[in-house]
Amino acid sequence: MSDFIPVSTIDRRSVIRGLALGLTSLGVMDFAAAQHVHTETNAEKAAGPYKVKAFQPGEYKTIQRLTEIIVPKDEVSVSALTAGAPEFIDTLSSQNPKLADIFHGGLAWLDAEMRKRYKVAFANATSAQQTAMLDLLVEAGRTEAARKSEELLYQKSAVYKEFGAYTVKRSGDLGPGIEFFDWVRKMTVDAFYTSPAGIKDIGYVGNGAYSRYVVPQAALDYAMKRSPFA
Amino acid sequence: MQNTRNKEVYDAVVVGSGAGGGTAVQVLIEKGMRVALLEAGPMLDVNREFKEHEWPHQYNHRGAEEGGAAYFGKGKPFGFFSTTSGGWQLEGEPYTVGEGSQFQWFRSRILGGRTNHYGRMSFRFAEYDFKPYDKDGLGTNWPISYQDIAPYYDKAEDFIGVCGSKENVASCPDGKFHEPPPPKVHEALIKKACDKLGIICIPNRRAVITKPLNGRPACHYCGQCGRGCKTASNYSSSQVQVFPAMKTGRLKVIDLAMVREVLTDGNGKATGILYVDKRTRTEQTIQAKVVILAASACESTRILLNSKSKEFPNGLGNGSGLLGRYLMDTVGFGLSGYVPALEGMPRYDTDGAGGAHLFMPWWLWQKHNTLDFPRGYHIEIGGGYSMPGIGSYHGAARRFGYGAEMKKQIRQSYGASISFAGRGEMIPNIHSYCELDPTVVDSWGIPVLRFHFKWTDYEWKQARHMEKTFADIITTMGGRVSGLSAAQREADGISIPGTIIHEVGGARMGTSAKNSVLNGYCQTHDVKNLFVVDGAGFVSNPDKNPTLTINALAWRACDYINDEMRRGNV
Repeated sequence: MSDFIPVSTIDRRSVIRGLALGLTSLGVMDFAAAQHVHTETNAEKAAGPYKVKAFQPGEYKTIQRLTEIIVPKDEVSVSALTAGAPEFIDTLSSQNPKLADIFHGGLAWLDAEMRKRYKVAFANATSAQQTAMLDLLVEAGRTEAARKSEELLYQKSAVYKEFGAYTVKRSGDLGPGIEFFDWVRKMTVDAFYTSPAGIKDIGYVGNGAYSRYVVPQAALDYAMKRSPFA
Repeated sequence: MQNTRNKEVYDAVVVGSGAGGGTAVQVLIEKGMRVALLEAGPMLDVNREFKEHEWPHQYNHRGAEEGGAAYFGKGKPFGFFSTTSGGWQLEGEPYTVGEGSQFQWFRSRILGGRTNHYGRMSFRFAEYDFKPYDKDGLGTNWPISYQDIAPYYDKAEDFIGVCGSKENVASCPDGKFHEPPPPKVHEALIKKACDKLGIICIPNRRAVITKPLNGRPACHYCGQCGRGCKTASNYSSSQVQVFPAMKTGRLKVIDLAMVREVLTDGNGKATGILYVDKRTRTEQTIQAKVVILAASACESTRILLNSKSKEFPNGLGNGSGLLGRYLMDTVGFGLSGYVPALEGMPRYDTDGAGGAHLFMPWWLWQKHNTLDFPRGYHIEIGGGYSMPGIGSYHGAARRFGYGAEMKKQIRQSYGASISFAGRGEMIPNIHSYCELDPTVVDSWGIPVLRFHFKWTDYEWKQARHMEKTFADIITTMGGRVSGLSAAQREADGISIPGTIIHEVGGARMGTSAKNSVLNGYCQTHDVKNLFVVDGAGFVSNPDKNPTLTINALAWRACDYINDEMRRGNV
């Protein structure tokens, strides 16, 4: 990789600015102005502890716990809770009543279901109870997905006109929970993997600026050796 | 509404600022003309519009947009960070679709149009592409040949800058190329598989410069072409053609100008353009010696259809009755696969020059007798370690549940998926056309288009060939195909018409006023000083992405306009 201009050692923007000199003389670009939006979006982060906008304290506690369970801390990286997933969910929910309602409703459903099963709300349940509930939702979600694909597959077939002909049965009353958990998972992985911690975890090393593009021989050798072309 | 007359008579008025309009402006300004350029969207502000090098975490919404709009299908068409100003639906500017048809119309509304964000694949049409009827008896020949356009491919490539390599493949002629970047690892594996299967796999040809050109610095390999390139190291008509032309002082750019019709003098000549100024909702006119439409294939067709007068009751250039006919899009089909050989590979930067560094041109052009469909397709490649964004791991989350195991699986499978997209040629058919909707107008009072479109067996069979080919490549690499179920194939087995955004035709070229709208110089048969230099004039839609050919045809048309003006013929 020695042909790369390592962006970590040179400020990326100064590299781009250098590359862009020809165009700047045409008056097309102004990188100082481009900085404006960054400063604006980062301003809030510098303003102190996060203030919850869309949820009651109890609701927010459950959201925090859910994000921590979905992407937990491991030997490689922090949890989605630490990486800011609850703040992400709260911010967007505060801007969109439809999204807020998905969470209000889903959280209430989850607590009601937990009380039915364990006589305790989700946030106050044991880890084992919490994951047992979520495992049920994952399993039910898979069943529903299988059912949907079967429906799609046979919707035009005469044999499958009858409801009873489906081989995959409905997953019972967990539908609202499946939907809700899908939302929490989607937004949690989005928040985690777009955070600096997530980017580091997954190993994305792009968004750079180089004078030449080089593919490292070590990567090439690694894949070739494992391929049918070895 | 007032009708304010602008007194100046320009040498030319150009409608639309994308590939065709940008090239027209560049060439005519170079020849010393005074030109007015009308754009239906706003002026491009590169700093505001281009999000090159930004990270999702610089935004509280991470790219999901205000209120999580992207989660509700209401985000920008290709994501928050892309520089598309426009989309499939535009507020106040509807279109309709005839019963039983499907068609989606993508429109950009900004200086530079779709060239700000397009894929920048830049392939020359083959010699045989200009004479398709001679090859298989289907469709219609172009009135021009490869030899007519070749010098203009040269000029266009020289000016906009295209990287690639000389390969001597008849289906995809060589051009004047900058050096291409080397293949990424997954692409090197794909090439091995292609070699085994007898599929040609060569360096991609994209409008990206790898050495400085006309003051534009070389690509810096951030892979973010779709966000707009602040260094103009790829081609966009806005940065490469229009901005420099503005510096001459001879170009007047009028933005937010929604063109209603071409004005004529009652004696078979165009006199200018009538447009609605979107800021004031007033009608304005602009006069010019030559009128050049480059508003996009369907928008230019719409303008011509709306340009009705006593002399031209069916619209301008419609003596043949073919205006709006033979609308085409590219046949699209995609398939992805998972390649275990790539799992756990030492991470490296796969952003590169944006898009793939290799592609597969059509390789069976001499073996059509062994196939059950006419014409061909090329294959585009996807894969690598892309920047995490909204939606990147929704599938993985569903598949792996949650928790430490999911986290491990996502890490493990990152970068191990590849995808293929086929881009094929459809045969123009009588069921695919646009016309004016008899009852609907847009917010500016202009009658809108109604689309009709049908794929035929030719296209479906081609898509099935794509599917089998992609599956073969994936399995040859030791990969697993993420296949389609029978029902999915019925729904997703071929792209929805319009969605490849290669819609061309509608004002096709031809040899006479009886069989076509334009002649080989993009000039309307009926009105000598009226030209259409976007994709509307395409007679066929070969598997090559249309932009480079639009550049070349527009350049050729403008050379012709200049000559004809000097001779006093226009």
